Amino acid sequence: MKFILPATGPWRALLLAAMAALAITGWGTAQAALPAAYKALVIEATGQPERYEFDLSAALALAKKDNKRLYVYLGARDCSYCRRYEAFLDKNAGELVPQFASKNYLIVELRSALSARAPKLFIRIGNSSRAYADFQRDIGDERARQLVYPSVWLFDAQARPLMQMPAGTGTFETVEEQLEILNLVQ
Amino acid sequence: MKHLLIAALLVTAVLLPAQTAEAQARGLPSAAHSDTSPQWDQLRTQLFGQRRIEADTAASRVQLIVPLRAAYGASVPVKIVSKIAQTQALYVKRLWILVDKNPSPLAATLELTPELGQADFETRIRVDEYSHVRVVTELSDGTLHMDSRYVKTSGGCSAPPNRSALNLIGRTVFKLPQGLPPAAAANSPQQPVLADVTVVHPNDTGFELNNQTVMFIPSYFVRSISVSYGQRKLFDADLDFSISENPTLRFYFVPRGPGELRAEVEDSKSLRYAGSLPVAVE
Repeated sequence: MKFILPATGPWRALLLAAMAALAITGWGTAQAALPAAYKALVIEATGQPERYEFDLSAALALAKKDNKRLYVYLGARDCSYCRRYEAFLDKNAGELVPQFASKNYLIVELRSALSARAPKLFIRIGNSSRAYADFQRDIGDERARQLVYPSVWLFDAQARPLMQMPAGTGTFETVEEQLEILNLVQ
Repeated sequence: MKHLLIAALLVTAVLLPAQTAEAQARGLPSAAHSDTSPQWDQLRTQLFGQRRIEADTAASRVQLIVPLRAAYGASVPVKIVSKIAQTQALYVKRLWILVDKNPSPLAATLELTPELGQADFETRIRVDEYSHVRVVTELSDGTLHMDSRYVKTSGGCSAPPNRSALNLIGRTVFKLPQGLPPAAAANSPQQPVLADVTVVHPNDTGFELNNQTVMFIPSYFVRSISVSYGQRKLFDADLDFSISENPTLRFYFVPRGPGELRAEVEDSKSLRYAGSLPVAVE
C-alpha cells in the first residue's frame, strides 16, 4: 500500500502538521532498545529462530571483576510495553543514570522478540543453558509460570537474585518507584 | 501556511493532553502502609461499626507480611503472624483479610479456635490494582487489632487463568511441610505443627477472559473450608474469589494424640469436597 501525500490544500497541511506534532510529542520515534545514556551491555540472542539464547557469562564476569550488581532487562523489539518503559527511562535519564551508577549496577540488555515465548527462551551461564522456566525455578524466581515482556532481574555477580521482581515493569515507571527497585525495597 | 499552523495547533492540542493524562495515569499513587483509604473507611464502618481497632504497630497483636511488589497480581503471598499464643485464656477468635480496592474487598473471614496453638496463617490472594491489604483480628476478649501493607501490583483479577487441572477440581490435600516434631517428653506441652491444606480449584473471579471464546469465564470459587483435627474444630474459613486459584491455607495446629486432619470444602456451585490426612503422633 502506498501512502500518497496530497499535493496541496488543507489535507496536506493537516497531514504535515500531524507528522510534525507526532515528532514533537515523541510518538513513533521510540527505539527498540534501552536509551544510550544507560550504557547497557547489549546481548543479542543466538540460535534463532528455533531458540533465543542469551549468554550472561560475559556480563557476570564483568560484574565480578568490577564488583557490580546486574540489572538485566529483557525487552522485545515488537513490544509496546517495552517501548513504554524505555521511554520512561529516556525521559528520566538525567535523574536515573546517576542512580544506577551510584547503586553499582551494570545494566544488561537482552534483545528478544515477542515470538520468543518461554519454551524458546534460554539463559546460558557458562556451560549451562536453561530454558526460561527451568532457569527461573533454579534461581527461585516465582515468575517461572509465565514469561512477560519486559522483564527485569537483579542479580549479584554470582547470578543470585537480589530480590523477587514483579512480572513486567508497570509498577516501577515513576522515578520514585524505579528508585525503590534500585534500593531493593521490599 | 495559515492552514498548517492551525492544523498543527489542533493536532498538538489533541495529542499533548492525551500524553500528559497517560503519563499521570502511569504514576500510580503511593501510600504509606498504615494509611487509610476511602474504601477502607466504608468497609470499616460496615464490618466493625464504631468499635475501636488497634492499628498501632507496637500495640497491635497482629502482623501482616506482604511483599511491596509481587511476581504476579493473581498470586500475592500473604503471611499473618499473631503476636499472642493461641490459648484458652486469650486467643484470636476471628480474622478478616481485606484488599481495599478489589472488586470484592473481603477476601476471607476465619473463625478460629485455641486448638490451633498459634494463629498464624499464610495464603495467596489476588490484588487487582495498587491497594492496601489489611488483616483484622478479633481476640477472645473482644478487642480488635489490625495491620496493613500497601501493595503495588496490577492485573490480578484479569490475569490469564491457569486452568490446567480442571479434572481435579475439588481435590483437597493436606501436607505437613515440616513433618512432625520428634516425640516430646511426656510432661512437655505439645508444640504447634505446621500444615497446609490446598483445594484444587480455578477460583475464577468472573473477570477472566477465555482466550479461545473471548468470553468472560463466570465466577466460580471456593466459598468455605472447615478444618478439624480429631473431631475438634481448628477453623472455619469463608472465602471469596480474591483468594488465588487452588486456594491454600497454611496454619498451625496442636496434635493432641493421634487423629486425622480433615477439611470440608464447599464451592460457589454448592459442590462439596473433602480431604483428610491421618497424623500419627505418640
